[in-house]
Amino acid sequence: MARSSHHLRSVPDESHEAAKIRLRNLTKSFETPAGTMTALDNVSLDIAEGCFFMIVGPSGCGKTTLLRILANLETATSGSVEVSAPAQNRPSNSMVFQGDSLFPWMTVWDNASYGLRLRHVPKGQINEVVGHYLERTGLTRFAQAYPHQLSGGMRQRVSIARAFANDPDILLMDEPFSALDEQNKLLLQEELLRIWEETRKTVLFITHSVDEAVTLGDRVMIMSAQPGRAKEIMDVPFERPRSVLELRSRPAYGEFVYSILGQLREEVQRARSRDLGETKA
Amino acid sequence: MSIAPNVTQTAAAVRPKKRLFAGDNRDRIISIASPLMLLLVWQIAAQAGLIDQRFFPAPSKVFSTLLSLVADGSLWSNTWATLQRLFWGTLVGGIPALLLGVAIGLSRPLRAMIDPLISATYPVPKSAIFPLLLLICGRGEASKIAMVAIGVFYPLLINSATGVLEINKIYLDVGRNYGANRWQVFSTIALPGAVPHIMSGLKLGLGLGLMLIAIAEMIGSKSGLGYMIWNAWELLSVEQIYVGLLVVAFLGYVISVIPELERKLVPWKKTAR
Repeated sequence: MARSSHHLRSVPDESHEAAKIRLRNLTKSFETPAGTMTALDNVSLDIAEGCFFMIVGPSGCGKTTLLRILANLETATSGSVEVSAPAQNRPSNSMVFQGDSLFPWMTVWDNASYGLRLRHVPKGQINEVVGHYLERTGLTRFAQAYPHQLSGGMRQRVSIARAFANDPDILLMDEPFSALDEQNKLLLQEELLRIWEETRKTVLFITHSVDEAVTLGDRVMIMSAQPGRAKEIMDVPFERPRSVLELRSRPAYGEFVYSILGQLREEVQRARSRDLGETKA
Repeated sequence: MSIAPNVTQTAAAVRPKKRLFAGDNRDRIISIASPLMLLLVWQIAAQAGLIDQRFFPAPSKVFSTLLSLVADGSLWSNTWATLQRLFWGTLVGGIPALLLGVAIGLSRPLRAMIDPLISATYPVPKSAIFPLLLLICGRGEASKIAMVAIGVFYPLLINSATGVLEINKIYLDVGRNYGANRWQVFSTIALPGAVPHIMSGLKLGLGLGLMLIAIAEMIGSKSGLGYMIWNAWELLSVEQIYVGLLVVAFLGYVISVIPELERKLVPWKKTAR
């Protein structure tokens, strides 16, 4: 895998904006006892700087694999990942993981300041930055609490604060709200939008919820399942800043969600008929 | 065996659990009273001549021997000698065990390298090594400290490695994603994440260390609780044997309370169990 930061290869430039992330023919396959499983098949993608990019697809379509490759937690079997160099010495990306990823042995404060402390950022700056994001996520009062003392929604807030406080170039979010109840999910989506508006960082956000994809994103990529392919990329036609509830009450919102659902439905049915065929064989 | 009665049994077992917890105080009274009762029965039986006082002296006699050993200072000096050996042995064996154990848990190649060595040497009864240690280290303190160190080393090594291996992989992913270097992974994730296992390894190791030091002091020492017990046998002073056993048992008890310490050291672990 080529992870070059400076010289970009001569690839067709589809967007005129500066592409932050360029994926070319990205393929990832795993060896399983049942044979080779292709999680990602030839995915090519440009993500512009400052774009809130959503990837939506059925479970098992390789969304998480894609994100983990970008997070440097996995390597692609073939293809290239090009990420333009981050400004100054800020980290390239920070990930908000699916499920509980907070260190149980650290307080909320220590968790949220983790990235900065690893980089030996001066204490004054840590206090300022972490204090800010804890305040933005409503966690100031819980700074000295341990994760097990918090609710699931609060834990995911800390996770978000940790990623934002690390001040990365790109935020990678792997279904961060999937384990939350509907009310909490709404609240956190609104909070996330509000915090994101302050910085407008490039975000790559994975979800299986079409509602979430349309509510949060600038662009939505629909992925097909097994092998995971980029099926379609759609621009979300809604202006910012958005109010989640107001947005969802619009007829245009419903129509847009419906059109994506239609595409996904084909995918799910295709996957299902294939699975049924396999079990019969 | 059918399944149905089992089901009702567990259902019934769930209910009184709450009442048992509510009766915490009652439990405490019972658990203090039962050993006292045993001592009382023992005392009466000894005085009535129902048991042979040459082997089972009356508790009152043991107690008066205890007082005289305290008075002449020998009990304290022997206990202190044992404690010092335990302390240094734990340090000498424990620190390498901790570092190596965590490293083994983190690194697969290292695990592949060390694992067979551990498996091969672990089954050797530690007490059987003492003559070899005497040969190598001489009759001085070193051989006793080495004995304790070996006892502490294995359980702590194995438990630290297990503790690290059982850390949820997601935490290591977080460390990598947030740019932790090797030392930072060790100090911010592996070590704190393994603390619960490390504590129980320490408890096991200290227990084993106490056992081994008692044996080692019987054979190759002129001080310590083991020596005191052995010496008592040579002098045919049964009471002194019992005093030695009592103090060793008390040390064992102190070691077994380590899990209580753990709760202080590990505040992130849910208190409800």
